[in-house]
Amino acid sequence: MATVQLFATCLGDLAFPDAVADAEALLREAGFEVEFPGAQVCCGQPAFNAGHRAAARRVGRTFARAFSRTAPVVMPSGSCTAMVAHRLPELLGVEPWEVYELSAFLAAAGFEPRRLNEGRTVAYHDSCHMLRDLRISDEPRRLLEVSGATIAPLPRQDLCCGFGGTFSVRQPELSLAMADDKLAGAAGAEALVTADPGCITHLRGRSERTGGPRVVHLATVLARGLG
Amino acid sequence: MSLAQPPGRFRETAQRALADDHVERALDDATARLYGNRLEAWAGLEDAQALRERGREIRVRTVAALDSHLEAFQRALEARGGRVHRCADAAAARAKITEICTAAGAKLVAKSKSMATEEIGLNEALHGAGMEVVETDLGEWILQLSGEHPVHIVAPAIEKTAADVAELFSKLEGREVSTELSELTGVARRRMRKVFETADVGITGANFAVAETGSICLVENEGNARLVTSLPRVHVVLLGMERVVPTLADLSVLLRLLARSATGQKLSSYTTLITGPRRPGEQDGPEELHVIVLDNGRSNLRGTRYEEMLSCIRCGACLNVCPVYRKTGGSAYGPVYSGPMGAVLVPLLVGLEQAPALPHASSLCGACTDACPVKIPLHELLLDLRSDLVEGGIASRGERLGFTLWSYAWSSPLGYRLSTALARLGLPLAALGGPGRVWAKGRAFPRLSRRYRDRR
Repeated sequence: MATVQLFATCLGDLAFPDAVADAEALLREAGFEVEFPGAQVCCGQPAFNAGHRAAARRVGRTFARAFSRTAPVVMPSGSCTAMVAHRLPELLGVEPWEVYELSAFLAAAGFEPRRLNEGRTVAYHDSCHMLRDLRISDEPRRLLEVSGATIAPLPRQDLCCGFGGTFSVRQPELSLAMADDKLAGAAGAEALVTADPGCITHLRGRSERTGGPRVVHLATVLARGLG
Repeated sequence: MSLAQPPGRFRETAQRALADDHVERALDDATARLYGNRLEAWAGLEDAQALRERGREIRVRTVAALDSHLEAFQRALEARGGRVHRCADAAAARAKITEICTAAGAKLVAKSKSMATEEIGLNEALHGAGMEVVETDLGEWILQLSGEHPVHIVAPAIEKTAADVAELFSKLEGREVSTELSELTGVARRRMRKVFETADVGITGANFAVAETGSICLVENEGNARLVTSLPRVHVVLLGMERVVPTLADLSVLLRLLARSATGQKLSSYTTLITGPRRPGEQDGPEELHVIVLDNGRSNLRGTRYEEMLSCIRCGACLNVCPVYRKTGGSAYGPVYSGPMGAVLVPLLVGLEQAPALPHASSLCGACTDACPVKIPLHELLLDLRSDLVEGGIASRGERLGFTLWSYAWSSPLGYRLSTALARLGLPLAALGGPGRVWAKGRAFPRLSRRYRDRR
């Protein structure tokens, strides 16, 4: 049986442990042996995107120490995947890892999720890193459809949800206005599904305050439906 | 005019735009229309990516050898009777243009749209020298009437609706002007005609300068630039020093990219090539043609990581796709350049310490980089500018200290465990101050339960 290494990501580990558990369950369902390197911490992205490269390097080294290059690394986060795939090797001066965003990995492995979402209409939000850095947009939608869900297209799917790391607190008014647009676009759906813990923290946090739609991680919807 | 944008100004100005539903709607409609037009125009191209790559290659190659191309341009233009003046900064360019206008005995100066003249604050200087200056681009003229600055490099009055313009024109005309586009343009046309007929000097920018022929290329849709460049006795061109292209063949590639990216047209309604002043036997054209080649900080970029920004052809596509620009409008970025291209260019022209908020005026979504017809990695440049803010000690001490402490805490699994255990206890306190308080105003915190690593 092929082995994969699971990176929970810091946000996943701390704030969305259920979604990480769902990601692990999906990987096992798809027939993979899942290793969880205990020394993992964070990829350093929060500091890197804010311009603090020395800090990013310091934190990013924990990733380099925790993960081997003998098995693919899978993570339930588009932005962390982009960071590890496209930034970290150069930042640390190390060899690249074989890294995959969860839905792209599952789709490439030919995984077919169970039909837990029959009759459900959900909206899918592309995280910017997944859409434009990793060019992953069909795979999560296909998996959702195979799980039985109907996807209600969001208006202007290309638009960012307004999280943007430190942007969310440097420009809070703008960040919230962008979230409100995104949430309003998903108002007709049972849930707004996305695959990036950053977007979820922001969109769910906003939605809880405004009474907007449920915001759910893709892994959860595929592993357990909307619960 | 100063391009500088002090800290706090971006957020403050953006908030005003956010609070104005009217501006919000106008921006949303206009940017969505331009975005849709662009996608449609690009879809009609056989190999859009190859064309982009050719455009990028032309721009990068030209900027890398800018001096020799500028010299070639100057030789070619002078051989056809034009004059070239190199100006190191805004003050020198203002002085030179004022001198040319004064020597021409100018009372009335007609201008066509030029962001470079906005950059150097030309209108104020000419007013100061006692001249009347009239903007002849419809959008620019509207803003001149309302006393505002352009908020978009291609569609300067993008935040105005037809109703806004009708109100402005009604005041001007002293009668009710309807929102019918034909009536609005009728007002402009009638008033403009007199300006074209009587102006002593015409001033334009330049979309491109062609080195092999010494030509100036102007791209427009209203026809005003043609009149400004052919009726007045003297024509002055303000050319950003990087806007030169080696050959007409190169120009044709960039023109295909420019119109599609700016407005979704295959080619703009008027594309004009001006090669020298009027020659003996010719019916029209100015007696004198002066080209001011403007540096004003552009040389700062040469030979640096940021040299690619000099590839910019000012199409505005990055503004139209930007989720931030769409909400803030242009004035948040400062009085001249806005959107992602402005957020990159302005700090490079004036120095990062003069515009420290601009590299952070982005969620780094990357839509700008995807849209750029000459493949400038705009969001990557913003990332590098952020790093320069930190390295240069311009980022606040609190921010630097915060990230440093965090990075030491998270430099080992043990430190991570300890610090996150503390954070879990302290999370309710986070809402009391700092970034946590900003976050909590409008958003719930995620509930931190047991870490995945502990429950697995």
